[in-house]
Parts: sequence; C-alpha cells; structure tokens
Amino acid sequence: MVAPPDAATAAVEEAAAREDYFTYIEGVGHIPRDIYKHVKSDPAGDLPRYSTHIVIQHILVSTTFLVLAATGLSLFFADVFWAPYVIKLFGGADTARYVHRVAAAIMIFAAVYHILTLVAGTTKKVMNNEFDYRRTQIPRLKDLHDLIHDIKYFLGLEPFRPKMEKFCYKQKLHYLAIIWGTTVLVSAGLALLYPDVVSKTIPEAIFKISPGAATGGAFPTFFQDLARLMHADEAVMALIVIALWHLANVHIVPGRFPFQWTFLTGRITREHQIEEHFLEYIRNLEEIPEEKEYMRNLLREKGFEVSEPMDTTLSRQTPEPGSAEESTPEKEEN
Amino acid sequence: MDRLRDLNSLKIIGTISTFFVLICVLLSISSYARAADEDNCLMCHKYRFLGRIDENGNRINYNVDPRIFNDTVHRTIACRECHNYIKKIPHDPVTEQVNCGTQCHVITPFSKERFSHQHIIEIYNSSVHAPKPDDSPEQKEAKPGCKFCHLNPIYSLPKHDIPYDVSLRRCLNCHQQKGVTQAYKHITHRIRRKTSRSSQEIVALCAKCHADKELMERFKVSQEALTAVETYKRSIHGESVTLGSQETADCISCHASNKLHDIYKKDDRRATIFSKNINKTCQQCHEQTNRWFVEIAVHPRSEGAGNPIVYFISISLRFALYGTVFGLVGLMLLETYGRKRKGIKFLLRHGNSWRGKATPEKSKQKIQKNNN
Repeated sequence: MVAPPDAATAAVEEAAAREDYFTYIEGVGHIPRDIYKHVKSDPAGDLPRYSTHIVIQHILVSTTFLVLAATGLSLFFADVFWAPYVIKLFGGADTARYVHRVAAAIMIFAAVYHILTLVAGTTKKVMNNEFDYRRTQIPRLKDLHDLIHDIKYFLGLEPFRPKMEKFCYKQKLHYLAIIWGTTVLVSAGLALLYPDVVSKTIPEAIFKISPGAATGGAFPTFFQDLARLMHADEAVMALIVIALWHLANVHIVPGRFPFQWTFLTGRITREHQIEEHFLEYIRNLEEIPEEKEYMRNLLREKGFEVSEPMDTTLSRQTPEPGSAEESTPEKEEN
Repeated sequence: MDRLRDLNSLKIIGTISTFFVLICVLLSISSYARAADEDNCLMCHKYRFLGRIDENGNRINYNVDPRIFNDTVHRTIACRECHNYIKKIPHDPVTEQVNCGTQCHVITPFSKERFSHQHIIEIYNSSVHAPKPDDSPEQKEAKPGCKFCHLNPIYSLPKHDIPYDVSLRRCLNCHQQKGVTQAYKHITHRIRRKTSRSSQEIVALCAKCHADKELMERFKVSQEALTAVETYKRSIHGESVTLGSQETADCISCHASNKLHDIYKKDDRRATIFSKNINKTCQQCHEQTNRWFVEIAVHPRSEGAGNPIVYFISISLRFALYGTVFGLVGLMLLETYGRKRKGIKFLLRHGNSWRGKATPEKSKQKIQKNNN
C-alpha cells in the first residue's frame, strides 16, 4: 500500500515522512520507527551487543578504576578530611601506593587484552568478508548529524530519533575519551613511578635534537610537574564523567533504571536496541531468524502491514512456534 | 604407666613454671626509680601541686611523676647527675639550666668512659640551628636547643620490630663506626623499643618554626625556605607522610645524615642538600638517580608558578573539565527531558518502559489521515 502521489507537495512530503517512518524488511513487513513502544523486553537483554571478552574487560577496568580512584584521590587530596579514612581501608599510605600500582597494572593488562580482542576480531571479520566499519567505534560524519537531530528530537522539533548504528555518538565520544584518558594516565603515571628514568630520557632526547634547548635545569622539574598535573586532572575528569554521566546514562535515565544488565550479560534489551540503535536492530533481524519471527508476529498483532504472502509461506516453513503464535492475532481479529 | 608418666611430666612442668614465676617476680620488683632517686628528691617532688607563680605570672609545676619518669630514656640517671648545680637539700631557687653535655655516671660498656651527649652537641653546634656569635639576641632566643625537640620522651612501642641495621644507624649517631662489633649488633638486634618520632611528628616539629612565616621573615630567609613546609606538603613525599606513610622522606631524611643534627644551609659543603651531595642523599631511597633526576623540585611550587606552560595547560585542562562535565550532563538531562515527554517511564515494567501517550493506532491513523 504505497501512498498515491497527489499533486500537492504536502503529500510528497508525507510520503517521504512515511518512508522514513516505516522501514520495510523482506520477510517481516513495514516496521514503524516507534515500534519500541510496543515490544516486549527482557531486562537481562534480548539481543547480542558485547562479546564475553568485552564483558571481562569491562569488569576488570571498572573494578580497577574504582580502586585506582579511591587510592589515588585520597593520596592526592591528602589534607582533605576523608582521605585518611579511605587510606586506612587500603592498609595505610604505603600499602595504598602499592595497591594503586597493582590495580594500574591490571588495568593496563585489560587495555592490552582489549586491543588484542579488537585486532583478532577485526582480522577474523575481514577474512570472512564480514567487516563493516559502520558497526564499529570509528567516528563518522553521520554521528554529528545524529547528534544534531537527536537534540532536535529532545527539544520536540522532530517526531523521531535518528536511526543510529550499534555505537551512537555518545558511545563513540566516550570511547575516544577513554583512549585519550588511558594514554595520558598511563604515561603520566609511569613518569611519576619512574621519575629517575623519565627525568633522564626526555631531556637527553631533547639535548640530542637541539643541544641549546636543554641547557637549563628546568626540564626535569617541568616534566615531573606536567606529569603530576595531567595525572591528577585527567583522573578527576574521568571520575566525574564516570560518576555523573556514564553511570547516570546507563543505570539511571528512564528505561534503564534501576539497573541495566548489559555490562554483565553482554545483551541489550530489544526496546533499547530499536530506540537508540535502529540500524543495528535491522542487522539483527537479518542475522537472527527468531527475532524476525518475533517482529513479524508483533506487527501483525498490532495491526501493521506484514510482508507479502511469499514471505508468509517462507516463514510457515519454520515449524510450530511460528504457526502457533500466528494463530492468536487472527483469533483476536475475528 | 601412662598415669605415672603424666605425673612425672606434671612435676617437671610445675618446677619450670615455679621458676618462671619466681624470675618474673624478681624481674618486676627491681625498680629503676629507687636507683634514680638516691637523694630522695621525690620526697618533695612527688606532690602534684608543688609549684610556684613566678614574677611574670607564669605558673611553674615542679612535680615529677615517678610512674611517667620511670618509662623515659633517662629513668636510670639520678636527678643530680643532670641537675648537678644542686649541692644541698633542700636546695636554693634554681637559676641554671641543665647542660646535656654533662658527663653522667653511666659507664658505656665498650669505651669504659662516662656517658655524655657531648659528641651530638658538637655536631649540633656546627649546624644551622645552633646560636652563632654574630646572631642577634632575638635570633639566639628563637633557635631550638636540645630541649626544644627532646622532651625526655616516653617510650612507645613501634608497630613492628626494627631491623638491627636500622637501630644500629641510630647507635652510630654517638658511637664510632669502628667500635661496632658483633656484640653491638647483637644488642641492637634486640632493641624493640623506639624513642624517635614518626615522620608526621618530625614534620610537625619542624613546622613549629618553619611554617611560622612571620618568624621566618624576621630572620630574612630565602623565598624557598619561607614556603618550605607548604611546598613540601604539596609534594608526593609530603602527601604520603600526611597520610601516615613510614617509608617516605620527611624533613630530616633529606636535610640531615644519620647523625640527624647536622643540618646546614644548602650552600654549605657539609649539607646533605649541597649540590654535590644531593645525588647521594636521594640514593638513600631512589636507587637509580642521575644528574637530571636531582633537579626535580622536591618542594614543588604551586601549579605553574613561574612556569607559564604548565600554568597554561592547567587552565586549559580546567576548562576542558568543566566543558565536558556540563556538556555531557546537560546532554543527558536534555535527553531525559525529551524522552520523558514522549512517554517513557523510569522502570521497565511488563517488558516495556513506554506507557501512555502514543499508540500504533494513533500514529497509523495520523499517517492515513494525512495520506487521504
């Protein structure tokens, strides 16, 4: 049922809006953009999002991050009233410093593990000819477009959210921030841990490039001061962003409250996937036959157009559950 | 048989424990106070309110509590060995001060000489803290003498045993290195009690004068010395010590050698912080030092003071922090507002968190209406 193109431009616009509103999928039907308001979601997650490797990495990074923040901040803000209590929890200042280093080592291990996962996973996908950069964290111009349209939607200027990929602008921004933050924190932290090495190598390297530049004694102090400044400021920023933005975004905002299980189960709820990652959901439909079946039944139940009879016969080839569920909406209609 | 054996072992245990108890009793009844108070000074000084108000209105208490004194380092020294200006009892008003360089009657076991703090006092006299002939009277008054730091301290048990080479280091303050024998090592190995201050107490002690900016300004110290306590507390050493670290450097770790009293100005060749000696001083903890390392500011000035690049980075990081936090949190709040308006609820209930407003029929009708 395609809208008959009347002469009026309004109708053309409506047709365009309609095309934007419905997404036709072979074997499913016309999926409206706001179908997420009617789907049924399991709080533990319905659709795959993260592999087990990513879940393990997240657990490692999040626990070590908390330990690092607790020990590091109380060492840095030593004169604040709560610092001694937190330090006492970790067995005193000397022990806390070792705990900080061990936690940092585990976090670096998790980072290396993550890079290995990425390299291996990407290689595998490229070999199988499955690699699609749109499903990765690589930033695109579309992300900026999505951000602008999302803000318009939040302000009520647009009826629907933009159709976004597996990682939307928020996640890409956060991922870039993590890459930057980890690089700064690890390098500055190493400079603080090995002041003797860093104070020697960098000025000597500068001395080799231009002997005139490193004559003064300011360089070692400068790099140490810089390392200290960057380490502390970056850590405070990371903590504030994690505490105020990341945690709120994943566990507190509507629909995610009181707890989103994705970081443990690696699965995302259907509702969330369709709302924020519509294009990824379309790919899910193509990859997961059960999901295709579910969506087809839902569309029929809610009275939306279902795909052509040819597809119906195809879906009928799948055994019982499909036919059993298909019968119910018919009854209701009768 | 078994019972007999039990009886025999009981007898043995009984005998041993009797001896043990006897030894304990014998050990506990030997009192230091009796040895220290051979002139019976406590006859008067035991009274808690023994004191007077002097010409300036200061109240002075002359009470000596034997229970406290018997726990101090000087418990075996008789009163008159230090207060040697007292020739008769009851004595006249005291006008003299105790001289810590006085030889007392304790004979050191190896040198067989009478004990004295003279060696340490000589080191102290050459240090920056000793009054010098060309000092102003005010300066002489302000400089810390023996008793400013040493308060005949009460013994305190350390948290763990001190390894003998550490306690031996303390011995070397007075004793010559060549005199250290296996026997000395044996003794120091068994020293379980510690009279020295913790790192925090040392910082607090030095800060008593060095954090007093008015006092320091009057003596025209350098700018670095004026803010030394402040800048130290900002350093990694200072922060760790504030939190109770025992491994980190306090004031005297760097400013004095093992002799503890040999504190000199930075341009003095004998100073541990003299440019030629500083490498060795740092190497006490930082094993691999180099000529660059020693130039790191141990007393770091506030962020970027005198360093425009660090200052600029610090300011831009601050902007980045506020920008990021307000931007991201603002976006999240806007998102929540927008989604709430479209009918999302906080809790996911019965498989969905969207309730109320939009229904498929409505949106379908709307589109159909527009099409017709």
